[in-house]
Amino acid sequence: MFLNGDVKIGLAIKSVDNVATVLNDVSCGEKILVKFADNTSTRTIVSRENIPFGFKVALKDIQKGEYVIKYGEVIGRATEFIGEGHLVHVHNVEGLRGRGDLKNGG
Amino acid sequence: MTFLGYERPDGSIGVRNYVLIIPGGIISDVISNFVTGCKTIVTADSGSGRSKRDRETIARTLIGLGMNPNVASVIVHGRGLGSGYPELNVNRLADAIAKTGKRVEVLDGSNDSTLDLVVKGINLAREMVQEASRLRRREFDDSNLCVGVKCGASDTTSGIVGNPVVGYFFDKLVGKGGTALFGENTEIIGAEHILAKRAVNDEVAKAILEVARETEERAKLIGEDIRTINPVPSNIAGGITTLEEKSLGAIAKSGSMPIQGVLKYGERPRRRGLYFVDNWMSMLSIFLGYAAAGAQIVLFQLGGGGLVGDTILYSSGGVVAPLLWLTANPKTYRRFGDEIDFYSGTVIEGKETIQEAGERLYNLILDVASGTMTKTETLTHVDPNQIYTVDPML
Repeated sequence: MFLNGDVKIGLAIKSVDNVATVLNDVSCGEKILVKFADNTSTRTIVSRENIPFGFKVALKDIQKGEYVIKYGEVIGRATEFIGEGHLVHVHNVEGLRGRGDLKNGG
Repeated sequence: MTFLGYERPDGSIGVRNYVLIIPGGIISDVISNFVTGCKTIVTADSGSGRSKRDRETIARTLIGLGMNPNVASVIVHGRGLGSGYPELNVNRLADAIAKTGKRVEVLDGSNDSTLDLVVKGINLAREMVQEASRLRRREFDDSNLCVGVKCGASDTTSGIVGNPVVGYFFDKLVGKGGTALFGENTEIIGAEHILAKRAVNDEVAKAILEVARETEERAKLIGEDIRTINPVPSNIAGGITTLEEKSLGAIAKSGSMPIQGVLKYGERPRRRGLYFVDNWMSMLSIFLGYAAAGAQIVLFQLGGGGLVGDTILYSSGGVVAPLLWLTANPKTYRRFGDEIDFYSGTVIEGKETIQEAGERLYNLILDVASGTMTKTETLTHVDPNQIYTVDPML
């Protein structure tokens, strides 16, 4: 359903998502064919760093403080600027729920 | 579609045919190790030093396990540490299970030494397993099945493929009139609004939102970012970034059918259909709770991309309910294939659709229901159980 020969694939769940999950180990500079689970459109982006299988790549520039969207839902907020093609993970995204560490509880 | 099962006096249909010995402890342990066809619960949660609410949970779990359709008959004894509390009284447990019409024997040993009681129990258990073995499997409709699921060591393959395949299976089972249980109260935080929309009525919607609120409040009281606890390290190593992302992937295992209600740990659903269970993720806890709620089969949908070390996968957590290991992660399957009952990474590899994998899972479950052993069932190893209690230990 998802993989396609030697082409590196990124899967986004909804067209509004600003991240995709890569389904291969992707090296910096490689092209990623991004498929969307909710429609037949595709687009190609270039990875700007190594992205291991199952990790997320930014589909567009995400500003510091902007929401990160997957499944068409908010999964967190960028803690720094994330450029298109970069790895999106715990080093640049924070969760908004269950934040006992924050004064207002998140 | 049909499977071959054991009919019980209350009309429920078992997929296995065990004699259960409760509560946990040395008496049950020795008998069930010595006599074939017996099961017991291995746990330190005896009820001693627990609040009334938690003792009720332990009692509900023991009673529910005895009522499970996979249990032919039950031996109850009063040598558990918590047996002195009224909720865990031997006769209370035995009477509640006996309402199903199945045979329940109280092992009376008030004047016996521990080993004398073991000998009595062995003789009784031998007679009971022989009696149970006289029952034959017959053909029954798949609407008699109840299946519980947990996702664990989740990675991003879980939310994209593994859980949606289980969701397809759940939709089909519920559509045919069967019962499906999912839960994990921490792993709905960030996705509870989606589940609430699927509730059959406002009351159930409120109950779902309340579970998420209560769990999140408990988490915040610790004063940590929940991400230092959950998503657990193997989730983060597997590409999951936040609890919200984990939850949104986790709820895919529930499919798309209406949610009929919110059940407590070990609580039996009143009707058939899909239910959310207010339980905790641990595989040593959750499968026992599903079995106590009446699940004949339990599923562990494994991510595994972030597992470290030589993690051993087998678990006897469902005690009387056989467990199937599922994964959608090709790397996990390559490494742990010996332990995996069902692989849906074919969807990632482009060989199958989610629907096709879901159909394959449905057929496998019917096969297991008819008697085919799961990988875990081929082992005599028994993992300990952890009953889901919430109050302080005093």
